[in-house]
Amino acid sequence: MKTGKKIGVGLILAALAMSAIGCANNGGNGGNTASPGSDATNTPTGSKTEKVKIVYSMWGSAEEGSTTQAVADKFNASQERIEVEVQAIPWENYMTKLNTLATAGQLPDTGMLQEGGVIQWSGEGMLNDVSAMYEGSDSKPLDSLAYKHEGNTVAYAAANEILLLYYNKDMFDKANVPYPPAALDQAWTWDEFVATAKKLTIDKNGKHSGEEGFDSQSIVQYGTSVENLSWQLETWALSNGGGFYSEDGTEVRIGEDASVEAIQKVADLYLKDHVAPLSVGQTDDGIQRTIIAGTVAMATNGQWNIGTSLNTAKEEGLKYGVAVLPYLKDKVTLNTGGANVVFSQTKHPEEAMEWLKWYNSEENNWALISSGIWMPTLDKWYKDETFTRKWVENPNFPPYEEYKSAVVDYAQSDAARPAAWFYTNYTTDFNTLLGSVLGDVWTGKTTAKEAITKNLDALKAAHAGSK
Amino acid sequence: METINKLPKRRSRVYSSEARVAYICLIPAFLGLFFLTYLPLLGVLGISLTNWTGLKPPEFIGFENYIKLFTSDPYIKDSIITTIYFAVLSVIGSMIYSLFIAMMLNRKIPARSFFRAVFYIPYVLPAVAIYVGWSWLYEGNFGFFNYLLSEVGLNKIHFIADSSYVVPSLSLISVWLSGNLIVIFLAGLQNVPSVYHEAAEMDGANGWQRFRHITLPCMTPIIFYNLLMSLIANLQVVTPALALTNGGPGNSTRFLTYLMYDQAFVNYKIGYACATTLIIFAILAVFTIVLFKTSNRWIYNEGGDDK
Repeated sequence: MKTGKKIGVGLILAALAMSAIGCANNGGNGGNTASPGSDATNTPTGSKTEKVKIVYSMWGSAEEGSTTQAVADKFNASQERIEVEVQAIPWENYMTKLNTLATAGQLPDTGMLQEGGVIQWSGEGMLNDVSAMYEGSDSKPLDSLAYKHEGNTVAYAAANEILLLYYNKDMFDKANVPYPPAALDQAWTWDEFVATAKKLTIDKNGKHSGEEGFDSQSIVQYGTSVENLSWQLETWALSNGGGFYSEDGTEVRIGEDASVEAIQKVADLYLKDHVAPLSVGQTDDGIQRTIIAGTVAMATNGQWNIGTSLNTAKEEGLKYGVAVLPYLKDKVTLNTGGANVVFSQTKHPEEAMEWLKWYNSEENNWALISSGIWMPTLDKWYKDETFTRKWVENPNFPPYEEYKSAVVDYAQSDAARPAAWFYTNYTTDFNTLLGSVLGDVWTGKTTAKEAITKNLDALKAAHAGSK
Repeated sequence: METINKLPKRRSRVYSSEARVAYICLIPAFLGLFFLTYLPLLGVLGISLTNWTGLKPPEFIGFENYIKLFTSDPYIKDSIITTIYFAVLSVIGSMIYSLFIAMMLNRKIPARSFFRAVFYIPYVLPAVAIYVGWSWLYEGNFGFFNYLLSEVGLNKIHFIADSSYVVPSLSLISVWLSGNLIVIFLAGLQNVPSVYHEAAEMDGANGWQRFRHITLPCMTPIIFYNLLMSLIANLQVVTPALALTNGGPGNSTRFLTYLMYDQAFVNYKIGYACATTLIIFAILAVFTIVLFKTSNRWIYNEGGDDK
């Protein structure tokens, strides 16, 4: 009886899987259809035999795919053992497509993976351990860029990103207020940050927040905007001595007073201090809405904004600067970066790692790095000034000294901590639920304490993956 | 006896050959319906009884997904309520609005075809463009509507950032988008026999009386059709949540279809998402059945009870 049901379900799934397989075949020959004779290349003397074929998947348009293929072709020409074929999949469908490929057993050998998916895929046994990748290399990725699952390194980030404080220099000059500090040892406390934000918040009569007669309903320029997307909020929870999770990712700590208090402080920027516009975490375009729109003097967000939007705005005359984040108790910024993984379905893990290691060397991602979208992952770019200058002395970036201090040094300091998805599972579920729980906190209908306490069990269940 | 029997027999032969042609002609449509509608529906039912994530082969888990949905899911209750709330607001709003506009456009007003185009245009504009446009109007800090409010000295309204305003605000967009209903109403209005109006006018009926006792009864079949279509479309709402609100603030726009999308394509709980899909299906079915069951009480049929 039970098997009968299973067969029925199986048949239906088979019918559905057909379409998935159909799609898979359009996108190249899948990972496991290695060319005949590829086994022979595993013998050291097999230099004359056919190359091992590796498929690398990435998100991006067909055009971006051919750019990457051109890079891969350099790799293909540089040695005689491995032939890399790039498979570009549009960002919107990337994870869906990989899921169907996984079901069909046709995953590429290696590829990019979205942050939230790494630990989950590893938990499902879909990823290879890559800790051997940098054995014997002189430069390794920064420690905070390794995805760890059950003590094993299952991926390295393809790029580095950290959270920063951006600010509009013209607004500071006009208000005659000193710029936010670029050096970590001079980082503002939260109170200094709020005090500065008040000076930069102006209503239509020119009054500042906190002044007599200030009208919070007619603000024309806001002092600050602290991004409140769930994952970025963890910065403040950690900074206040709390956090979303315990260090090993097993426990949920968001219910602790320190975490709740930190989230309330972010909400209070709008509710009590009247220095921030209302933002309920509905869209992911914080810098465009604030610094680039010219409505806010300071805003926190990821480094990638330098390359995705601020470089264009700079050309159009925006004078912005970068600074380190303010802090509550501990100085904290989060770092992150989409992962490059080796799928466990591959028959050629060694070759896949060799390609990844070659490809992840910064020279091969130079377009993304020099435009300011990605930061390098290998530590030599942070530690060796010649490399740092090669990276940063570039019209797309803020002045060298400022960026070096607020980004390069910040990223390798103790303040930089890996975002939760580097070490714990179900972050997507957790962050979605947290975003929904906090919806009425930003508008002041409820407090962070109330909202989180009420939903703590659900948050814990989401973290346990048993939603 | 024989002659009597002959006639029906011949007729049935003609009938059966016609029927054969009819069945043959129906095959393509049936195949499409079977393979693209009924089979996937069964597939959804099958998958909803598994814990499929897309990565591992699915395991049969019986009704566990449904039990979870109704006992421990943090979203489903809010989601059902907000979906129905949105649908009811939007359906009522767009029915009244489109019937009103259609009646205006049915009069002999100057530049009538221009206005007909104006009210239909929103319906054919690309959805994302519409929502981006509205997001500028609704923006909570510097948006156009709030600019107007502050000019007249009123407090700001956070149209889509406040959980109490967001559903009505989105419903308003949906009402504004109901150009297709206007066109159908307009077609219906043109079929209301003008003799009735003329006769009523001669009897001294005023505008409201003529609307209430002539236009409205004659329009009931069209109203029913529009009501049904609009209800089904609005219960499946997802675009504003995807384009504007991401389901927030809180769960206030986490519509069922958005919830299902999130489960299936963000969290990859495909079995679970299929169970949600069937909940949506059930809700749609209930509303449709109720509508059909009550329809004969208020639909006026010119041809008697020709159902």
